[in-house]
Amino acid sequence: MFVPLSIISEFLFVEPFIIFHVSEDRVISFVLMVSISLMSAIVIPMNIYRIRTLQKSTAKIGGSIAGSIIGASAGICSCGPIGFSIISTFGTVAGTATAFLTNYEIPLRLASLALLCLVYYTTVKSISIECKIQ
Amino acid sequence: MNKRLVVSAAFVVIVIIVVISFSSYYFTILETQQIAQDRFIAAQQKAQQEFENGSPVLGSESATITIIEFGDYQCEACYHWFHNTRSTLIDNYIETGKAKLIFVDLPFLGRDSPIAAQASYCAEDQGKYWEYHTILYTFQDGPPDSGWADRDRLNSFAFSLDMNIDEFNECMDSSKYKKRVKANYDEAVKNGANSTPTFIIISQDGAIEKFAGAQPYPVFASMIESML
Repeated sequence: MFVPLSIISEFLFVEPFIIFHVSEDRVISFVLMVSISLMSAIVIPMNIYRIRTLQKSTAKIGGSIAGSIIGASAGICSCGPIGFSIISTFGTVAGTATAFLTNYEIPLRLASLALLCLVYYTTVKSISIECKIQ
Repeated sequence: MNKRLVVSAAFVVIVIIVVISFSSYYFTILETQQIAQDRFIAAQQKAQQEFENGSPVLGSESATITIIEFGDYQCEACYHWFHNTRSTLIDNYIETGKAKLIFVDLPFLGRDSPIAAQASYCAEDQGKYWEYHTILYTFQDGPPDSGWADRDRLNSFAFSLDMNIDEFNECMDSSKYKKRVKANYDEAVKNGANSTPTFIIISQDGAIEKFAGAQPYPVFASMIESML
């Protein structure tokens, strides 16, 4: 998740050379992106394990996927190729939507991180109860 | 007698061979230089023709490297590039006469984008294109179409640059540069730009490198050095 997010958020460039660059004014955004990637890498496999092994409900994995998607989409730059194709196809409404994702990137990523933390907490709690040896 | 004749003939033959070889070598060099010169002129003409609707040239007209930037005044990534990379690039390559920069509008982010681009050309009429360009990227504030580049703000930018406001308003009201901005958009799309900022670097011999994103200065330095 980290690599595609870095490319989408324009921290990692693959052309003309592979170069990683975090400018001073985007450090917070980068830290949040790393946190979301880490939390997603922990929470999603935990929920997959919980569903496959314990045959429990899929509600929590829904929360973790939603958190990851919000966190990922918040970094989409409306100036990038994704934004360009969306705006070119759907017009100004899409422009407003992508601008929202770009300009509220930090609050959206914080919300996404909070959601992932909540899912992590409830999943850990649930696994420790469900896996308890009687 | 015969021996002397043979030596003289051999000498004449050697001289002829040397002259022919030298002439051939000289003409090859001339031809190579002419081809390089033709390529340079063709590359310059191509850049000038294709991007004639773009900004005035920043830097020396005779600079061997041409950097084309496709951008939108409401683009956040363009703002980051402007503030993090552009000034170093100007100090090291534009002001030293090695490269020149042309800005071509790719206004797609909102309704204020093409208006801001038109305003920049109205500023060009008063000889203040690059000052206006700078002020737009300096005061970019908030999401596209949030009002930071609406007509009132564009007027206030013109006012702060001591421009003739009546002339500026007349230019804006007549939508004099609407077609020019549209032509720039079409040219950018034709050149494969599908994000902002996108850069095309054209070398002396016509070689072209294209890449996108607010990339750091070392990328530009490396590309330009390899093309010089």
